[in-house]
Amino acid sequence: MNCVELQASLAEIEHGRNSEQRNHLNTCEECSALVVELDSIISAATELRAAEEPSPRVWNSIEIALRQEGLIRPQRPSRSLLPTFGSRWAWARWMVPAAAVLLIAVGVYVRQHSFTREIVRDLRPKPPVSDMAVAGLNDDDLLQEVAQLSPAVQAQYRDNLRHVNDYIRDAKSVVADDPNDEEARRSLMEAYQEKAMLFELAMDRSLP
Amino acid sequence: MSGRTFQVAVVGASLAGTLIAGTLIGEAQSVSTHKDYRFNVGARAGVSVNNPYGSISVKPSTGNVVLIDAVLSSDKVEVDNNLVGNRVEIQSHLLAGADAQSGRVDYEILVPADASITLHSSTGPLRAERLHGDVTLEGSAATVEIRDITSAHVHVKTLNGPVTLTNVQDGHVEIDSLSGDVTLNGVTGPLVQVISTSGSINYIGDFGDRGDYRLTSHSGDIEATVPDSTSADVSARSVRGEVHDEIPLQPKTHTWFVIKEGSAFWGTMGRAAVSSTVVLRSFSGKIHLRKRTSK
Repeated sequence: MNCVELQASLAEIEHGRNSEQRNHLNTCEECSALVVELDSIISAATELRAAEEPSPRVWNSIEIALRQEGLIRPQRPSRSLLPTFGSRWAWARWMVPAAAVLLIAVGVYVRQHSFTREIVRDLRPKPPVSDMAVAGLNDDDLLQEVAQLSPAVQAQYRDNLRHVNDYIRDAKSVVADDPNDEEARRSLMEAYQEKAMLFELAMDRSLP
Repeated sequence: MSGRTFQVAVVGASLAGTLIAGTLIGEAQSVSTHKDYRFNVGARAGVSVNNPYGSISVKPSTGNVVLIDAVLSSDKVEVDNNLVGNRVEIQSHLLAGADAQSGRVDYEILVPADASITLHSSTGPLRAERLHGDVTLEGSAATVEIRDITSAHVHVKTLNGPVTLTNVQDGHVEIDSLSGDVTLNGVTGPLVQVISTSGSINYIGDFGDRGDYRLTSHSGDIEATVPDSTSADVSARSVRGEVHDEIPLQPKTHTWFVIKEGSAFWGTMGRAAVSSTVVLRSFSGKIHLRKRTSK
């Protein structure tokens, strides 16, 4: 069983985990973390049982949104729309809309947690994206490129490289604080643009 | 004069002659030389100059002609020139052993005022004036000076070279400098954008009308000095720096970012109907919007 199969099977579990799932969870940190996260959502959601039940209209809106996102499939005729509460994992079906409500309520906060974002958008884990992967901007390449220049010029490039890396770090931080901040996102783009320009100038400078 | 004295004099004269000849030969190798080039071009010609070491200055010519005066520092550099269609291409060609001194070429260039120019030099300085064609200047440490440009795209990139634009009207201006200071004096147009990492940005002018002005620096200070007649929607934010506003602004009733006293402001000055949009943004630099004092 691979990660995708396990994650697809989570909502179907009625009575604990089977051996295939247990084997996979023992060897896969990410899926194991996913299950832990779901467990925590389930336990938190039980506290919501006492809360006021949303109107059917709310549930319908959530269902429509989730269908449009492809997060839930059309119901089979033989199954009830509402899952039973008789098993531990059946709560997970309720937790999908519940999690959606939570996501809406704490949207910005949730977006900072990549794991939860993965649940909403794509269950497959993705590796972190580095500067190099984004734009091929490897600091070592730059320093190597200017290595034959005078020590003073090399120092200028090192200094500018440090500054532009600070710029990118700060811009990322502000975007993380408020992903909806258009100006912050633009600043991040500009920071990368500055770094790209530094590389471009270094390449030009090193030409004969 | 005795025979002994005469022999000494002859030997001495020979040595002196040898030394003088050697010196003259050495000077011949390093003496600067002038090269002149002339190209007849059509309207809206393109002129590009790539000069690793040395200055480039461009001014308008009379008529559709490109005149180039190149001063070569030594015989370790030569000038390659080419006319391709309506485009003149000039390249300082460094020969073996050339360095920043011996490979230097200084250009004085006259182009039709409507020509588009592209200048590149690591050391500069780079200058362009009284043109209305597009201007693209790039140089790592080059000082860049642009003045009296109208209705043109102006693009500048430097590493640490300072950039000064004076009287650029109706321009589409984009300046990128990592650590060079940028000064804009009387620069207006549909788009005026300056991005700097650690350099300061100094804008002096009225922000035109209905333009988009964006001045961004990561750690450099940003200062805008405007006259009373200015009409602009001005937003300023510094993440960790201070923001000062000497001009009373009509505050925005609806903002999409939190206006934190001392680190951000957003408001309108002058007539909103013709106002430009001005965004001043820094992370750790100071931002200062000040009123220009009367002369």
